[in-house]
This record gives sequence, structure tokens and C-alpha cells, in this order.
Amino acid sequence: MATTRAFARLATRGTAVRPTIFARGFASVDPIAKAGEKLSPEPARKVVPESKTSTLQEPAPDKQAKIKTFHVYRWNPDEPSSKPRMQSYTLDLNKTGPMMLDALIRIKNEMDPTLTFRRSCREGICGSCAMNIDGVNTLACLCRIPTDTAKESRIYPLPHMFVVKDLVPDMTNFYKQYRSIKPYLQRATPPPDGREYRQSKDDRKKLDGLYECILCACCSTSCPSYWWNQEEYLGPAVLLQSYRWIADSRDEKKAERQDALNNSMSLYRCHTILNCSRTCPKGLNPALAIAEIKKGMAFA
Amino acid sequence: MASIMRTGLLRPAFQSPAASSRMLSTFASASASATIKRSSPLAHQLRPQFVRSTIPKTTRVAAFHATRRTQILPPLPQKIQGTVNDPAPVPHPEYTHGSYHWTFERLVSVGLVPLCIAPFAAGSLNPVMDATLCALLVLHSHIGFESCIIDYIPRKRLPVLRAMADWALRIGTVLLGLALYSFETNDVGITEAVKQLWHA
Repeated sequence: MATTRAFARLATRGTAVRPTIFARGFASVDPIAKAGEKLSPEPARKVVPESKTSTLQEPAPDKQAKIKTFHVYRWNPDEPSSKPRMQSYTLDLNKTGPMMLDALIRIKNEMDPTLTFRRSCREGICGSCAMNIDGVNTLACLCRIPTDTAKESRIYPLPHMFVVKDLVPDMTNFYKQYRSIKPYLQRATPPPDGREYRQSKDDRKKLDGLYECILCACCSTSCPSYWWNQEEYLGPAVLLQSYRWIADSRDEKKAERQDALNNSMSLYRCHTILNCSRTCPKGLNPALAIAEIKKGMAFA
Repeated sequence: MASIMRTGLLRPAFQSPAASSRMLSTFASASASATIKRSSPLAHQLRPQFVRSTIPKTTRVAAFHATRRTQILPPLPQKIQGTVNDPAPVPHPEYTHGSYHWTFERLVSVGLVPLCIAPFAAGSLNPVMDATLCALLVLHSHIGFESCIIDYIPRKRLPVLRAMADWALRIGTVLLGLALYSFETNDVGITEAVKQLWHA
């Protein structure tokens, strides 16, 4: 085994002597670097796995209890030196509601009041409880708990977002981007009859599938392009909203809205990965909206 | 040899057993004392030269993970421009990098499809068509790599590397264009080359 590795190392290494700086981590451990890591731990980088943390049990399990384990990402900003960790909780599914949010609320009420997450409407209309459940960004209130108790569920905050605490991501940048697209009706001319801005039924139909977006950021945080270029790329959710105003027949600033997106970063970092449409808990299609924006700007 | 002068060789002997056994994967079942023996300088000297030269000087063991220890571009602490109620800055419109670029890219991509099929389907070896195919291929690959650079080398964090990558790509594209030009003019040309490779 060691010989194989040595041969592999010989094969992959260009010169006989190589400075340590350029040495890639190749199945080896440099104790000096390790000691340095120990001296200055990077708290936010790695999560302590659930196997190394305690498990909070269901308070009083029944005979026919359907015990399911939930691993929840925990990080407390009041202890900046401690690493984030995966805390395990076991719940009896018979006493828990059907949705993930019910499980989280039950954990917070009955087992661990320090668990922190956003929630409000518990019916998928506010978008507060967006989180990464079993590897998929979704709303906890719209995500059923898989009844298979053999499988353990893992709950993380939205990926590639700064974490405020536990499952609460920092949405500041997201909302600032939303604000930058001017999400309101822009008109200079008054309505012809002086009463309301009217539109035809066909024009109204163009907004279906756009106005339902609740800005939960599930799609944006599932987009690899948004992960890499969060500061400049607007992300699917904000672009969907941008298209909602571009497509609105009552809006008179369509050209300005398009110009605001007409650079290499804001819109065109979308590479049609389609994670956004796949993950949207409301069943919308942000990728289609982005494609429509691109189409509208292509031959303008 | 010079290795005796290296203090790093002695380090494994002073390491705490817990730390060294944690790093082991090949000798995972061995006890802590045995691992120290295995990684002692004496044991190292008994190994064949080629093994010695390739294993890092300080430890003779491999960790379980073969992934990098350091992240390539770890996220910096969050920085918010302006107050939380200010909109994110809107860049100035650049049509050549925005919509024109995208339209051009799509036209090139769409144009490549018939150009790739036609010479083999129709069996004609028109030099003009060959030249068009080459030119579009060069443009297509340039745009594709440019997209990779924009995606993965952010200008704000790595301005020097970004400039280097941009110029490397431009030089590479020009070289590729020259190479294809000479291949087209002095040799059989790209379509014929693929054909010969196919039948080879």
C-alpha cells in the first residue's frame, strides 16, 4: 500500500526536490502545517460531525414510537472560537407534525430552546424558513418529514450564505440586490382615464409564475454561479423579480431595467444550470425568466 | 546524508502518540507505540531510497483524506457596502460584454453545429468551409475559457491573477489561430485530419 502511494507520488511529482509551499496535499500530513492549524483554528470552515456531538433524545418515548434522528447545524456567534457542529435530536414522529418545520418547532419547544431558525407563516407564503434539508434548499414548512425512520435527516442553513446563528443566514446582500433592481412600478405618464393603471388579461397572464415568488432565496443559494460571484451576479430570485417588472405592461422603464442588467456579471453569469427551477419550493421557473430576459435583450 | 541534519526527522519521535495515530490510515490498527516505532528515524532509514525520498520528511504516514488541506479561495469576512438599506451598486451598461457578447456566442455555437456535421455528411472538403469551421472553433473556445476565467477568478480578489489569466487566454487563442492557419494552409486541414484519424 505504502509502496503504491510512493509510486503515485513519484509519478505525480515533477522534480526531485520541491519547496513545501508548492506541495499539494496529496494523501499526506505535514505536522508543521497541522500545528499551525491548531494554533489558529478556522472556526467557520469545518463542521464538527454529529458523531462527535451529543444527541438530545425524545423526552418520553412510547412503545410504538417512530423515532427519527435529525442532525441540525448549530453555530453560536456568542462563542466565536467554537466550531460549528451537527447536533443530533431524536423525535417520535407520532407526536410530531408532518412537516420539517413542525419537527424544528418541537425541538425548540420541548428539547433545546437555544435552537435558532426563522419561521413565520408555517404555510409556505412568507419564505422565512428556507433552509437546506437533506441536501435540497427548500422551505421547512413545505417539506414533509420522510417517514422512513431508518434514514436520518440533516438540516443546514442555506448554502454559501453568511450564517448569523444556527439556521439563520444573513440575507443582507440578497435584499440589497433585490432593492437594486427597483422592484416597483415606474411610470411617468398618468393613466389615460385618470383612475387606474389597467392592463389586458393577456398582459396580466404574462405575470403568472413571476409574481408568486416569495423571495425565500432557495433558488439563488442553490446556484453555483451565485455561490462563486455573489457580490456581482444577481442570482435567479432577483432576476426573476427583475423580469416580473420587465414583463409588466404598465411599467415604462423597460429599457432602463434591461440596461441595468446589460453587463457581463449581473445577468450573464447564468449558465443555465437549472438548479433554481429544480429547487424552487413554490414550483416557479426562475431559469425560464432569465432566459426570457436574455431573449428580450438579444436582438434589442 | 544531509537528512541527519534535519530536525524534522526527529519530530515524529517527540510527537504525542494521540496526534500521530490520528494521522495514520495505513497503520490504523497499530497501537500508538508501534506507530511511533514505524515512523521513527531509524525505521525511515531502513526503507528503500525511493520510498524515503518520496515520503515527506516529517511523517512517514498518509492521512485518510487525499483532498487539499487549504481551500482555494476561502470566503472573506462579510463586507457590506453602504448601509443595509442602500441598493447594491448597479454597474454601467456594457453591451459588448453583455447582450452583444451573448448573442454572438449563441450565433457561433449554433453555427458550429451544421459546420461540424456537413463536411462528414456531405463528403465535401471545401477549404472555405474548413476555414470557417476553424475560425468559429477558435472563437467558441475563447469565449468558453473566458467564461471560466470570469466565473472562477474574481477580479476584485485576484486582480493580478485575473489579468494573467486573461492575457494567457488571449495569447493562447492567437497561437491556436496561427497553428490552425498553418495547419490549413500547409497541411491537410482539420476536416481531412479528423477523417484520416477516423479511418486510421
